[in-house]
Amino acid sequence: MADVTLTNVRKQFGTFVALENLDIEIKSGEFVALLGPSGCGKSTTLRMLAGLEFPTSGDISIDGRVVNDVAPGKRDIAMVFQSYALYPHMSVAENIAYPLKKRGVSAADRKVAVQKAAELLQLEPLLDRKPKQLSGGQQQRVALGRALVREPKVFLLDEPLSNLDAKLRSYMRAELIELHRRLGKTMIYVTHDQLEAMTMANRIAVMHGGKLQQFDTPDAVYNRPANRFVASFIGTPSMNQLEGQLDGALFHVAGHSIPLDRTRFADDLGTGDYALGVRPEFVAIGDGELPAKIRLVENTGHEQIVTLELTDGTRLLARTDAARRLDVGQNVQIGFHPDAIHLFAPGEEGPRLNKNDAASVIPMRSR
Amino acid sequence: MQRSMLQGVIVNLVTWTLVLLIAFPLLWMIITSVKPQTELFRIPPTWFPETITFEHYWRLLTETPFLTYFRNSVVLATTTTIFVVALGTLGAYSLVRFKYRGRETLAMLVLFTYLLPSVVLIIPLYLMMVAIGLSNTLVSLILAHTTFALPYALWLLRSFMEGVPEDLESAALVDGASRMGAFRDIILPQLLPGIISTALFTFILSWNEYLYALVLVNSDSVAPLTTGVMSMLISAFNIEWSLLMAASVMMSLPLIVVFAFLQSYLTSGFGAGGVKG
Amino acid sequence: MIATQTITPRLERSYARLGVLLIAPTILVFSLVIVYPLLAAIYLSVFSIYTPTLEGNFVGAANYVKLLTGKAFWNSLGVTLIWTVGTLTLQIVFGVGMALLLHQNIWFRSLARSLVLFPYFLSTVVAVLVWRWLFNDLYGAMNHGLMQLGILDLPLDWLGSMPNAMIGVILVGAWKYFPFVVIAVLARLQTIPEHLYEAAKIDGAGPIARFWDVTLPQLRNVLVVIVLLRAIWDFKEFDLIYLLTGGGPVTSTQTLSLLVYQEAFGLNQMGQAAAYSVGMMLVMLVFMVVYIRKTGKEG
Repeated sequence: MADVTLTNVRKQFGTFVALENLDIEIKSGEFVALLGPSGCGKSTTLRMLAGLEFPTSGDISIDGRVVNDVAPGKRDIAMVFQSYALYPHMSVAENIAYPLKKRGVSAADRKVAVQKAAELLQLEPLLDRKPKQLSGGQQQRVALGRALVREPKVFLLDEPLSNLDAKLRSYMRAELIELHRRLGKTMIYVTHDQLEAMTMANRIAVMHGGKLQQFDTPDAVYNRPANRFVASFIGTPSMNQLEGQLDGALFHVAGHSIPLDRTRFADDLGTGDYALGVRPEFVAIGDGELPAKIRLVENTGHEQIVTLELTDGTRLLARTDAARRLDVGQNVQIGFHPDAIHLFAPGEEGPRLNKNDAASVIPMRSR
Repeated sequence: MQRSMLQGVIVNLVTWTLVLLIAFPLLWMIITSVKPQTELFRIPPTWFPETITFEHYWRLLTETPFLTYFRNSVVLATTTTIFVVALGTLGAYSLVRFKYRGRETLAMLVLFTYLLPSVVLIIPLYLMMVAIGLSNTLVSLILAHTTFALPYALWLLRSFMEGVPEDLESAALVDGASRMGAFRDIILPQLLPGIISTALFTFILSWNEYLYALVLVNSDSVAPLTTGVMSMLISAFNIEWSLLMAASVMMSLPLIVVFAFLQSYLTSGFGAGGVKG
Repeated sequence: MIATQTITPRLERSYARLGVLLIAPTILVFSLVIVYPLLAAIYLSVFSIYTPTLEGNFVGAANYVKLLTGKAFWNSLGVTLIWTVGTLTLQIVFGVGMALLLHQNIWFRSLARSLVLFPYFLSTVVAVLVWRWLFNDLYGAMNHGLMQLGILDLPLDWLGSMPNAMIGVILVGAWKYFPFVVIAVLARLQTIPEHLYEAAKIDGAGPIARFWDVTLPQLRNVLVVIVLLRAIWDFKEFDLIYLLTGGGPVTSTQTLSLLVYQEAFGLNQMGQAAAYSVGMMLVMLVFMVVYIRKTGKEG
């Protein structure tokens, strides 16, 4: 078990800055997800932890030891690749045994360890097969087996589930959570799938444009997003963000004013441009003062996603239960749950301006 | 239905007529090589031999230095291939999977030399071989053959190396292998089909090469098949076409073997040899 | 930001060192047998050297003056262009045609393909011997075959007179090198998605329209690369022409490669030959740069 820290890590490819001054501290035994859209630098971060890429500046340490100059094989880590990276010319047993072989473990001990890993992952009947003869899910388990056989301090997982079909993915998600609970090892998991990050991780590092946006628990990144990027990236459908003007306790949008509870927001906010954020589940249709027109109703069976258009053409989404009857073209009055309103500074990564201590934690069930 | 079947037959007939026309010189070579001398100079020629004889092959092996040429060619092509493929495999690994200054320039230089005409190099190479006392040896030919074989092999192997997923090497490194360990354990086995393909191409190139042999070597004891067989044509009092055709067939033997058993490697080499697009 | 230290990690440096170490033998051989001779060729081109004694003296630009003012270089350049354009055109036309045919469902397709492929890998020496025998004016199969078919009345002197010699050389060149086009085009044909043809069919395109509107645009890129590559290789071809005609009759099939060889080892003027070879390389450089640009972009 080991702490993993990145201190002021910067990575440049030529003139392209892939990562900017990254500071992450991961506690021993934690399951951390690195989440972000493609090109955000999450895979580069993981590869640097593995020793496959080198930081342009800054330090990476594992278990208190700076590992910048340590070869991947000597960092006491294991990695599962998106492509699984199983050695095609080796059998399943040979694949799993390879890390042990490279560490000089005797053939007899290797056999025992492979057997143990195979049992854990239900791979025993497949040990003599070649990777090509396995299904995606089986290959995935072999890759896991190869990672855990030598009991590393840290597991690095690079989108390990993205090549599986939806059903198998949710099954493997549960398996991985179970595996983490059983082994208690530090796991760092790269994904672009927020569902994976939200359901599996203890903490999520949301990344965008080579910068760390927020590093917190799933609950916090959902309910208290650090900035507009996180707010829009986490949650499906994403949070509505209405651009308008703040004037005292009133937020002006689309020719109307929404009264705000100023005690929930930073005290020193001046008059000017801001963005008001509210998740679709907190948009009430037929309960409020803002006039809107229903443009689209998507019924998923257990809920409806309603596209609304304000008088100035701004669109936003609301989420209602499936039983409710709504017609396209219908004019309605809408309102926002006052405790669920976020206020952001303008700009793509404009920070959130709510007071966090007066947290708007709304019990999940009451949505 | 009827019409498309007729169409199919016509396409087949046209194609096979053309194929046989293309293959005719080769068939003619074989036919000529088994015709007795008397039948050879008949006008008009007999399209199928009336009697089949292997006397020309026998004479070729016993009365001419053909076997010496053959041995020289085997030594020359094999050594060149081993030398070039060994250097090329390491070089391709370096060019594809390592980062250092000048790497891109080097790759461009390889491509440039791959297109360079031999006649530009032949004069200085000739002078060089004379100066270091290697002229008229097989070693000089091996060195000369690397001028076209090495860029070719490097270029081919580079393509094949790019086809080996980088993740495999990364996985091996994480699993505890060194760079060279990963190369030996993981990359080399994956690269093997590419290496075989490159080796076949290199061997054929070297086996068929004529110009360097013409300039650098002038005695029977070290001449490869290309110049050796040509000298049989020139030195003969009256040209013995049957003998020459027998020599041609024998000279093509390695190629026939490759075609019969390893053809897929040749076609995969084509794909890698810069004919993408 | 400027103060940020950028020290290359030791591991990265040791990898870079290993990379250089792995390429070092190649660089060494390259320098020895390619780079040095290349520079030496340029150096030699300002000397006058008598081949048998290898004695020479500095003549400055005299060799180049002769190259520019004399007839030999320009004559050979013209011959080279005729040969290249002629044989390349045939290679492309027959190559694409044959590839299209072999792409169909043909009886014994792999055998047909092997037979078509074979000439490309055949030694030029063998190819030339066979064709010289075929072209033989008295007993050659070519003349008799064509006479039996009624195409010729009298046997032709194929390699000894013009323009037959040039036609013969171009024909043999096309025969030997068109399989290259076949393979490359065939490989590309196999990757054209079937649904493109289906879409064209639905839109009412006949077989010919499908060829022009679907197949050809898909082949465009690969054809550009093939044409460049083959143009370069045909331009520098030596073995085939030297062995078939030796450049004759007189110099009517003497391409630049043959001119260089003839000057160096026939007329024993190495300096002049080096100058010709440099001139030839400069002409080729145009194609090379285009090709390298084209390939480099993909890589």
